Amino acid sequence: MGLLTSSSLTLRKTVKITDKEFDDLRKFIYDKTGIDIPIRRRYLLENRLGTRLTELNLSSFAEYHNFLMRDPGRTSEMEKLCEKITTNETSFFRDIKQLNVFRSDILPEMLKVQEEAGKKELNIWCAGCSSGEEPYTLAIMILEQLGMKVISWRIKISAYDLSPAMLAKCRKGVYGEYAFKTTPKGMILKYFEKQPDGTYKVRPKVQKLVSFAPINLSDRMALKRVPKSQIVFCRNVIIYFDEAMKKQVLEGFYDNLLPGGYLFLGHSESIHKLSTAYKPILKPGGICYRKDA
Amino acid sequence: MSEIQINTLTPGMVLLSNIEDRNGYLLLPSGTKLQDGHIQLMKKLGLKSVEAVPESEAKGITLADPCEQYIRNFFVYCDPDNEAMLEIFRIAVARTQLAVERGWIMPTEDQRLATNLEFMKDLYPPGLGSAKDLVDHETELATFPGIYFRIKEILDSPSSSAADIARVVSTDVGLSAKLLKLVNSPFYGFADTIDSIAHAVSLVGIKEISTLALGISTINFFKDIPPELMDMKTFWRHSLSCGILSRLISMRAKKTHRDIEPDRLFTAGLLHDVGRLIIFKKQPYASVQALLYARENMIPLVDAESEVLGFDHTEIADLLLSEWNFPVAITTAIVNHHDPKSASNPKEAAIIQIADNLTNAVEISRGGMYVLPGIQADAWEGLGLKTSELVGIVDQFDEHIEEVLGAFM
Repeated sequence: MGLLTSSSLTLRKTVKITDKEFDDLRKFIYDKTGIDIPIRRRYLLENRLGTRLTELNLSSFAEYHNFLMRDPGRTSEMEKLCEKITTNETSFFRDIKQLNVFRSDILPEMLKVQEEAGKKELNIWCAGCSSGEEPYTLAIMILEQLGMKVISWRIKISAYDLSPAMLAKCRKGVYGEYAFKTTPKGMILKYFEKQPDGTYKVRPKVQKLVSFAPINLSDRMALKRVPKSQIVFCRNVIIYFDEAMKKQVLEGFYDNLLPGGYLFLGHSESIHKLSTAYKPILKPGGICYRKDA
Repeated sequence: MSEIQINTLTPGMVLLSNIEDRNGYLLLPSGTKLQDGHIQLMKKLGLKSVEAVPESEAKGITLADPCEQYIRNFFVYCDPDNEAMLEIFRIAVARTQLAVERGWIMPTEDQRLATNLEFMKDLYPPGLGSAKDLVDHETELATFPGIYFRIKEILDSPSSSAADIARVVSTDVGLSAKLLKLVNSPFYGFADTIDSIAHAVSLVGIKEISTLALGISTINFFKDIPPELMDMKTFWRHSLSCGILSRLISMRAKKTHRDIEPDRLFTAGLLHDVGRLIIFKKQPYASVQALLYARENMIPLVDAESEVLGFDHTEIADLLLSEWNFPVAITTAIVNHHDPKSASNPKEAAIIQIADNLTNAVEISRGGMYVLPGIQADAWEGLGLKTSELVGIVDQFDEHIEEVLGAFM
C-alpha cells in the first residue's frame, strides 16, 4: 500500500516548557489551589496552556508564570488555568446510581430525622459545584420528593466553586443540550424552560433552593466559614489533590458536618486510606460516609 | 468585529476562533469551513455567538483540515518533539485522510460523548475491591486449563523435545488449529504449507511454538465473557494488533539486540491488556465507567482506570500472571508496558509500549476513541531503529491483520 506521510506536518503547536518552568509552575499551582499536576501530564499542560500564551502575547512559560504572579489580570487568569487543567465533564443527573442512594435512602432519612426533631430545615453543601448541574439536580430531587410540602421547609443548597466565571454560569442557569444527556426526559420539561435559541433555563422554583459562592478548598479557614450541613457532596473534585491535601479537605468536611450527617464523594473515590473518622455506609448503588451522631 | 449570532450562522462561513469544549479539547479549529453538523454542535454546547466570516470574505484565510485537528487531540499526552511520535502522528493523519476519502465519516461529538446507562452489577462496591481481591476471586473461581500447565512444563524444562510439545498441543484440537493457521499465514512467511505441529516446531522452534501456544490457551480461557459486558471483538482486535506490531518491531530490533525474541513479543503484545479482562469480569459497571470517563475527558484509559478503580490493568496482570506462574520474561514486558524503564528487560517492554501506541493510532480511522498514552523518553531511541521504518511496519501490519484475526476468531 505504501502511505506517504506529509513531512511538513508538525505535532508541536505551542511553546515548549522547560524542566524548570514545569517544576515551578506545578509548585505554584499547588500552593495556590492544592491541585497536584502529575509529571506525566506535562505535555497536556503544554497543550492546554499554550493557547493562553498566544492569546496573552507571551513567549515563554516563565513569562506566563510571572503573569500569574504579578499581572493585574492574574486572578481571572488563574480561574481560566484551573478550568483548563481539570476535567470538567458534568451533566444533570450524572452517576444516577449514586444519586439514587441520596434519593432513596439518605434524603428520606434526613427529612424524617429533622422533622421528628422539630427542625424542618435541610442544609446541603456542594463543594466544587462546577457549572451548577449537580446542585440543581439535588434541588430537583428534593422538589420531586417533597412536592408541595417544600413550602413548609427551609431547604438550602450552598454551592461553591473556585471559579467566579463558573459561578456566573451557575447563577444564569442556562444550559445546552449536552448537559441533559443523562437526564430523564420528564425532568427536563418539568424543571427547565426551553429558550428560543434552543437552550434550557432552570425554573425559578429550582433556583430558589440554591445559592452560589466562591471558595478555595485548599484554604482551611474558608472551609470553616461554610454553614454547618446535614449533607456534603464533593464528587470528582479532590481527585486533583495530593494525599496530604485530600486528608485536609476531608477533615474540613468532617468538621462542617452536623452529627449524623453524610458525605458523598465520586462513585469510585475511596476514603479508606485517607480518613478513619467517617463510617462507610454501603448501599446497592454506592457508598456514602457518615459522621457519628 | 466578526462576531456572529449562532442563529444566523450558515454553512460555508469560516470560523475565525477555536471552539473548545470545557476541558480544552479542541472541537473546531479556527479556519474550519462550517457545515450543518458544526452549527448543530455549537447550538448543543449552548454557545450564543462565535467569530466567523461569510464565505465571500474568507479569501485570505487558510482553511483548517478537520482530519488533522481530530487526530491532534489524540496526541495531547505525547511528547511533540519525539521523532517517533511525530512519525506516528503523520501516519495517523495520512490514514485518516485516506479513510475519509473512502467514505469514512469522522465521529461526531454526540458519538464521542455517548453514554451507556445499563445497570451492571460490580462484585465489589466502589473503593472496596483491591487489585488483589479481584485476582484472588478469579483464581479461586476458575482453574486455568490443564493444557496451559503442561505447555509451561515443556517451556521450563531444558530437555523438552519437539515431540513433547507436539504431543501436548495436539491434544487440544482448537489450539492446534489456531496455531497452524497462524504459522501458515503470510505473517510467518513460510514457503511450504505446514501441516502438523511437529512440522511447525521444526521450522519455528520448540520454545517459540510453546510460547505461542501459551498465549493462545490464555486467550481461550477468556472466551466466555458475555458480549453485553464488553465489545470483545474490539478488544481482541486491539490485542492482536498489538501482538503483530510488537513482533514486527522486534524482528527489526533483533538485528541490533540479539536477545529480543519476536515470538515472545507477539505473545506479550497479545496479552498486554489481559488485566482488563479480569476487571471486565468482576467490575463491569466500573469498567464501563472507566471507558466512558476516558472517552469523555480524553485521558489515557490506563489513567481513567486508576482514577475510577484505584488501580490499573497492569497491577492486575502482575498479580494474575504471577499466580499462574507465567514465564517471567513475558510477564515483565506486560506489567511494565506503560513504564518500560521499570521492567527487567526494558527494551522488550518498550516494544510493547510503542506497539500499543501505534495500535491506538491506527485504530483512530476505524472509530477508536482513546488517546495515545504516550511513549517513555528514550524508549524508541534505545531500540536502534530509524523512524522511517515505521511506515513499513504499519504497511506490513495492514497486510497481515485480517488474516491473523481470522485465525484467532
